[in-house]
Amino acid sequence: MIRAHGLALERGGRRVLDGIDFELRAGEFVAVLGPNGVGKTTLLRACAGFEVPEAGTIELDGTAIHRLPVARRARSIAMLASDELLADELRVRDVVAIGRFPHRPWWKFSAGEEDERAIAAAISATHLEEYLDRVFTHLSSGEQQRVWIAMALAQGAPLLLLDEPTTHLDVRVAHNVLGLLHERTQTGTSVLCVLHDINEAAAVADRILLLGCGRMLALAPPAEVLASSLLDEAYGIAMHRARTEDGRTIVVPAHEAR
Amino acid sequence: MFLRRLLPPLAATIAAGVGLAVGGDALPLSQVVHALANPHAHDIAHTILWQLRMPRVLCAALVGSALALAGVQLQGMLRNPLVDPYLIGTSAGAAAAIAVALALGVALSLLPALGFVGGLAASLLVAALARRGGGIDATRIILAGVAISALLAASVALLSVLARSISFQLTLQAWLVGSLAGRGWNDLRFALPYAIVGALVAIGNIRSLDALRIGDLRARGIGLDIERAQWSILGSATLLTAAAVSLAGMVGFVGLIVPHLARRIVGSDARALLPASAFLGAAMAIAADAIARAAIAPRELPLGIVLAFAGIPIFIVIYLRREQRR
Repeated sequence: MIRAHGLALERGGRRVLDGIDFELRAGEFVAVLGPNGVGKTTLLRACAGFEVPEAGTIELDGTAIHRLPVARRARSIAMLASDELLADELRVRDVVAIGRFPHRPWWKFSAGEEDERAIAAAISATHLEEYLDRVFTHLSSGEQQRVWIAMALAQGAPLLLLDEPTTHLDVRVAHNVLGLLHERTQTGTSVLCVLHDINEAAAVADRILLLGCGRMLALAPPAEVLASSLLDEAYGIAMHRARTEDGRTIVVPAHEAR
Repeated sequence: MFLRRLLPPLAATIAAGVGLAVGGDALPLSQVVHALANPHAHDIAHTILWQLRMPRVLCAALVGSALALAGVQLQGMLRNPLVDPYLIGTSAGAAAAIAVALALGVALSLLPALGFVGGLAASLLVAALARRGGGIDATRIILAGVAISALLAASVALLSVLARSISFQLTLQAWLVGSLAGRGWNDLRFALPYAIVGALVAIGNIRSLDALRIGDLRARGIGLDIERAQWSILGSATLLTAAAVSLAGMVGFVGLIVPHLARRIVGSDARALLPASAFLGAAMAIAADAIARAAIAPRELPLGIVLAFAGIPIFIVIYLRREQRR
C-alpha cells in the first residue's frame, strides 16, 4: 500500500519531520501518536498527496502519491480532514453521496447503479439508515463523524486517513467510531489514524507510529510502544504503566497535573 | 421536490408575460398576444412588442440570470452566503472604464464594450492579487475585491467631481444605479455570447460546486482539483457579471439574494440550484424592469433602484429568518 522512505516534510518553511521510513500494509490499522506540533497532521497530509516531500519518497503502490492524478488518488485514498462546511442545509444522504465524486466522469451529473450500491453499503456499514433525511449540521459530533466515515466508505478507497476522528467525542461514541474503523480493516481496508488518547490507540491499533523530536521514534505493536520509555521521551513527561483486569497495559502521566 | 424545481421556470415565464404586457404605452392584452403570434405583422402594437418590449425583457432576463449564476457560484466557491458578484471588482472596473470613456468623450455606443473590458480587467487584477500557490485564497479575494473596488469607486467619484458637464453626470449616474433604459437588440447581441460562454462554463462547474459544499480540504480529499475548479468558477462569474454590467450598469442585489431564494426552494444541490438561480434571477430582473417602466410612465425608474427597494426587504427577511431558525 503506502511506503515512505527517508521522508522529510516541512510546514511553513520549517522542517518538522525527517528520515521517516514506514510501510502500511493492506488491512492494517496504524495509529499515529505524538505531541502537539510534531507533524502528525503533516504526515497524514503527505499520505493524502496534499504535501510534497522535501526529501525522500512516499509512494502508493510504487508511485509518488503527490504525482498521482487527483481523481485516481481519491479512488485509492480517502482523507477525512477537519474542514469548514458551507452553511447550506446538507442532508446526510447528500454528504454520503458526495463520496462517489471520484468515480463519476465530469459529464455525469447523477449517480449510477454502482454509485447507489456503494452509497447504500456505506450507509448500512455505519448504521445511518434512520438519519438519511436529517440535516447534517443538526447531528451530534459523533453522528457527524459517522457520516464522514460513511462518505469515505462510499468513496470506496482501500486506504482511510483520519485526523483525530475522536476529538470532541465522549468515550462511548469514540469507542463506537474506532470500532467501526476497526471493522473496516477486517474487509481489507487500511486505516492510518491520528489519535491523541494513547490508551484508545493501543486498544484499537495493530501498530502505533510514534512521532517525537522531529522523527519517527517507533512503529511497533501497541504493547511494545506502551512498555517502552520512548513514549515518555516523545511527550517529554514521565509515564506510569498499569495493568487492567483483562491484562491490557494502560499508561497515565506519572504526576497529577496539580 | 420535482414540483418545487418547476417553480423558478414558472416564475420566469409569468414575469416574461408581465414584462411583455406592461409598458409606457397601454396595449390591450389581445393586441400583445396578436403581435406575439404574428411576428411579421407591421402595426404599431407589433413594433412596440418586437422592437421595444421583447429586447428589454430579454436583456433583463440576461442581466438577472447572469448575475444570479455568478453569485451562486461565488457563494459556493467561497462558502460565504454574503458574497455577491460585484465582490470580484467587475462592476467597479466597468464603472471606472465608463467614467473615463465619458470624460474623454467616447461615443455612447461604445460604452457597453468598454464597460465589459473594464470589468474584465478589474476582475483579473483582483484574481491576481488573491492568488496563493496555484489557487485562490478565500480571504484574500474578498480583501482584494473590496480594496480594488473602493479604489475604482474613488476614481469614478474624482472624475465625477472634476467633470462639469451635466450630460456626463447623468450618463454616469445611469450606469451607477443600473438601468435598462434604451437597451435593444444590438446591446443584447453584444452581451449574449459572453453570457452564453459564462453559462456553459457554469454548467461544467456544477460537479465542482457540489463537491465544494463539504469544504475545500474534504473536496480535495474526494478528488476535486481545487485550483482548476476555482479558476473555472471565477472565470465563469467574471464573464457573466461583465456581460450583465455592460448591459445594465451596476444592478445590485440580484446576485446576492437570488441564490438564497433558490436554495430555499430547491436546496443546495448544484444540479438544481444553478438552473433555479438562473430562472429566478431572470424573473426578478424582468419583474423589476416592468415596474421600472410602468410605475411613473412615460418616465422610467432606474432598474437598480427598483431592485434595491424590492430586494433589500426580501434579503433582510430571509437573513433574519435564517438566523432565527438556527
